[in-house]
Amino acid sequence: MLTVDERKRYDRQIMMPEVGEEGQEKLKQAKVLIAGAGGLGSPISIYLAAAGIGHIRLVDHDQIELTNLNRQVLHWNRDIGEFKVKSALNKLNQLNPDVAIEIIKKTIEEGNIRDIVNDCDAIVDAMDNLETRYLLNKIAIEKNIPFFHGAVRGLEGRAMTIIPGKSPCLRCMYHGTLPPEKFPVIGVAPGVIGCIQATEVIKYFVGMGELLTGRLLVYDGMSLTFREFKITRNPQCDHCGQRKEV
Amino acid sequence: MTIKINLHKTHRQYTNDQETVEVQGKNVGECLKDLIRQYPPLGKEIFTKNGKLSPIMEVYLNGKSAFPDELNKPVKDGDTIHLVYFLAGG
Repeated sequence: MLTVDERKRYDRQIMMPEVGEEGQEKLKQAKVLIAGAGGLGSPISIYLAAAGIGHIRLVDHDQIELTNLNRQVLHWNRDIGEFKVKSALNKLNQLNPDVAIEIIKKTIEEGNIRDIVNDCDAIVDAMDNLETRYLLNKIAIEKNIPFFHGAVRGLEGRAMTIIPGKSPCLRCMYHGTLPPEKFPVIGVAPGVIGCIQATEVIKYFVGMGELLTGRLLVYDGMSLTFREFKITRNPQCDHCGQRKEV
Repeated sequence: MTIKINLHKTHRQYTNDQETVEVQGKNVGECLKDLIRQYPPLGKEIFTKNGKLSPIMEVYLNGKSAFPDELNKPVKDGDTIHLVYFLAGG
């Protein structure tokens, strides 16, 4: 049940016929894991907290460095040296005290990923490396949790939504490896892609619109174009191939 | 039989800034070889030293993922291949 203050806070989105109080209540009941509190994690967590996702679990092991500040807009100059999750908790609490923010200061690994995703209704990819993305993709399929993929480099980005058992997963479109790198990026690129991921999460919980399932959205900021590629489920996929169509 | 290959922007330095190159071939692999015949420096961008497709490249045929076994996917006149780089930053 929404409180009087919540009705006021979310008034403009409750006005949307697709959302209404019922949709807002669904957002309030949602528990979302955001894997990473950096370039993508910043806009994702800001917009999901502002929209009234009831419970956000934020995971990151890093401390803030000066070189993060061109893009990780949750963290400010005064936060240099602080753990990203702690800085994020502080800002998100101030943005929306009605949202429960849970922070985990850990590296996501095979050994702890089950505990990290436990009880979550959605997993949002805000990682900076491919290996952890694959781990998140795999656990999302195993635990039947929707997975909202996003990645950036330079002024480019991509996003796709994965609903286990219904839509292709990350491994259906890619099997390669990318060594961890210090990648070039301007903050607006994760801004664009993070907002798209947050849009997908909100749509999913409210149950409105058309999700980016089976559609890889590729953004090129240089030419300011969005292109869509169709991805189909790979029956031999090592993550979701054995999973029955729902 | 003409196939169009749409290049990633980092590849266009090798094609005089051309975004699209017309090639010949019966499958994706033959088309990529014809592309490299026309612009040899692209070879090291698209293939590894042992002749496999670079692990950071994705191939889309007429807007659909060609993965897996991309190089053997048959093509027909008028098809378009997109070469896209996988991204992993966040």
